[in-house]
Amino acid sequence: MSLTGTPRPAADAAVAVAVSGLSVRIASREILRGISAGFARGRVTAVIGPTGCGKTTLLRSLNRLNDQRPGMRVEGEILLEGQSVYGRGRDVRDLRRRIGMLFQRPNPFPQSIRENVALGARVHGLWRREEVDRRVEELLRRVGLWDAVHDRLGSSPFALSGGQQQLLCMARALAVDPQVLLLDEPTSALDPHSTARIEELIGSLRERITVVFVTHNLQQAARCADEVLFLLAGEVVEQAPVGDFFQRPADLRSRAYIEGKPV
Amino acid sequence: MSFFPAAQGTGRRAGPLPIGRPVPLRDADLTRRDRLARWGLLLAAAIPTAMLLLIAALMVAQSVPAFRYAGWGFFTGRVFSFGNLYVTKLQVQNGVPAPHGATYGAFTFIFGTLVSSVIALLVALPLAVGAVLALTERVPTRLQSTVSIFFELLAGIPSVVYGFWGILVLGPLLAAHLYPVLGRLGALVPFFRGSVGYGEGLLTASLILTLMIVPIIATTTRELVRGVPILAKEGALALGMTRYETARVVTLPYVRRGIWAAALLGWARALGETMAVLLVSGNLLNGLPANIFSPFSTMAATIVAMLDSALTDATGMAVHALAALGVVLLVITVATNLLGRLIIRRVAGGAVLPVGRGI
Ligand SMILES: Nc1ncnc2c1ncn2[C@@H]1O[C@H](COP(=O)(O)OP(=O)(O)OP(=O)(O)O)[C@@H](O)[C@H]1O
Ligand SMILES: [Mg+2]
Repeated sequence: MSLTGTPRPAADAAVAVAVSGLSVRIASREILRGISAGFARGRVTAVIGPTGCGKTTLLRSLNRLNDQRPGMRVEGEILLEGQSVYGRGRDVRDLRRRIGMLFQRPNPFPQSIRENVALGARVHGLWRREEVDRRVEELLRRVGLWDAVHDRLGSSPFALSGGQQQLLCMARALAVDPQVLLLDEPTSALDPHSTARIEELIGSLRERITVVFVTHNLQQAARCADEVLFLLAGEVVEQAPVGDFFQRPADLRSRAYIEGKPV
Repeated sequence: MSFFPAAQGTGRRAGPLPIGRPVPLRDADLTRRDRLARWGLLLAAAIPTAMLLLIAALMVAQSVPAFRYAGWGFFTGRVFSFGNLYVTKLQVQNGVPAPHGATYGAFTFIFGTLVSSVIALLVALPLAVGAVLALTERVPTRLQSTVSIFFELLAGIPSVVYGFWGILVLGPLLAAHLYPVLGRLGALVPFFRGSVGYGEGLLTASLILTLMIVPIIATTTRELVRGVPILAKEGALALGMTRYETARVVTLPYVRRGIWAAALLGWARALGETMAVLLVSGNLLNGLPANIFSPFSTMAATIVAMLDSALTDATGMAVHALAALGVVLLVITVATNLLGRLIIRRVAGGAVLPVGRGI
């Protein structure tokens, strides 16, 4: 893991996360090539692009989860609220508490349903049992899981359906009260009902949390997002407000992608 | 209660089959080759079973006179003596003749076997699991396989070498430096009170056993830990948890049941270990160890130590008595094994989980 070359991104008051000149390499392969983008505070940005274009890698660079991957080199600059994410002396744990993440597939902890959410609450500094309980209930209600699980909070989350598990992970991610929420195709394994539930939640988070949200579903992007970031082969093709992107794409490749033609 | 997700099935047949149970085969579904293979496999499975039963039966047959002679005293008596083998005077007890003065009380050895192996297990389990977590979380991936080769080498060292090293090096070292410190615990725990000895005894044997079973537990645990889905661990890291918290919240719960099984393997090894224990035990025949540092003996060690003189007993009773020790050891080993399996099943909580969810 190393970081060199730091062009300063323009400090924009409305931007919560600013990425500039971000390159990610593994061995000699360049997965991301000099990406620059901004994620507006309190807005939902959909990251789209064909498979393998680097969407997940971009997301994982934002909360430094790529640090786990041996041999991965990250260059460029990412600012969270003006502070360098990869800066020297940056507390990675603190960073990750500010940036929640939901993965492509649900990954509940092998703990009770209650504990899955309570762990997040405790990470956020709640310790008294009643406080934690109240917070767990509040979060489970917020993701719409309370009615389904309130009578089995002590049992295993693996007995829940995939959609319910993903909602549980959502509650867990929200428990730390993040400033930014990263969603990596959160609904790709879910039924329409759970998908609608997650989309509703994304909508309800608007204004409060900055959401960066990877999806292959263009309708979903159009429904949920304020902005669209279109990646192709590790490069940014276009970043634009959602209406502009779908109605007046600035780039021919964007148009082709929207129309389902080869890009 | 366990939150351990069920193992991934092969998923070849659709439909709600009971998980973890083989697909039932109907005879009509089988070809002639299948049937031949089935008989072959049955035979292959029957041979080890038959061998175990045969060994057990022969041991039991050998031991019966000793059990009849000693009665319940075999399990409760603390004196184990072949009697006077040079005088032809016999002593009849419960209708069974034995050399004059023969007493077969095995309580001391049963105690020694159980206590030394349990101490070894209690020390080895946290050590092995801790070592594995340190290895998988702290050591760079490139070095991990090199380090684990040493674990496997450690597991392959002949036990007589462990025993020899224990009596020459480790025992004296511990008696000089560690035991005096532990001896101060005597103020709280009676079993630590008294002389710390010279390094031959219960604790030294237990620690040698610890060294022998740590690699067994660690190797199994390492495989289990490597099998924990990365997605689950990253979920914890993404929440801002430390590696330590991740291990506690995700890794250990995932491997808990497997660790129980690994611990049982280690325990079984410690129960039956003979040579290393014999060398460092101090070989106390009659009476319980005065404290955790003093000499003692186990069933396995006693069988080896006394077989030579037992063969000189013209009545054959001495050999019967050692065979009886062997039977008790066999029963204890099988019983702990079964008990362990029961615990594992209990821990599993009978909760059959849907295949492939959330992993
Ligand atoms: N650890 C790794 N080692 C080698 N190559 C990797 C690694 N991680 C990602 N890549 C490569 O980087 C490229 C981008 O991967 P990434 O997962 O970011 O794509 P993606 O846009 O999320 O794709 P998808 O839509 O299929 O999820 C892929 O070509 C992938 O093969
Ligand atoms: Mg992806």
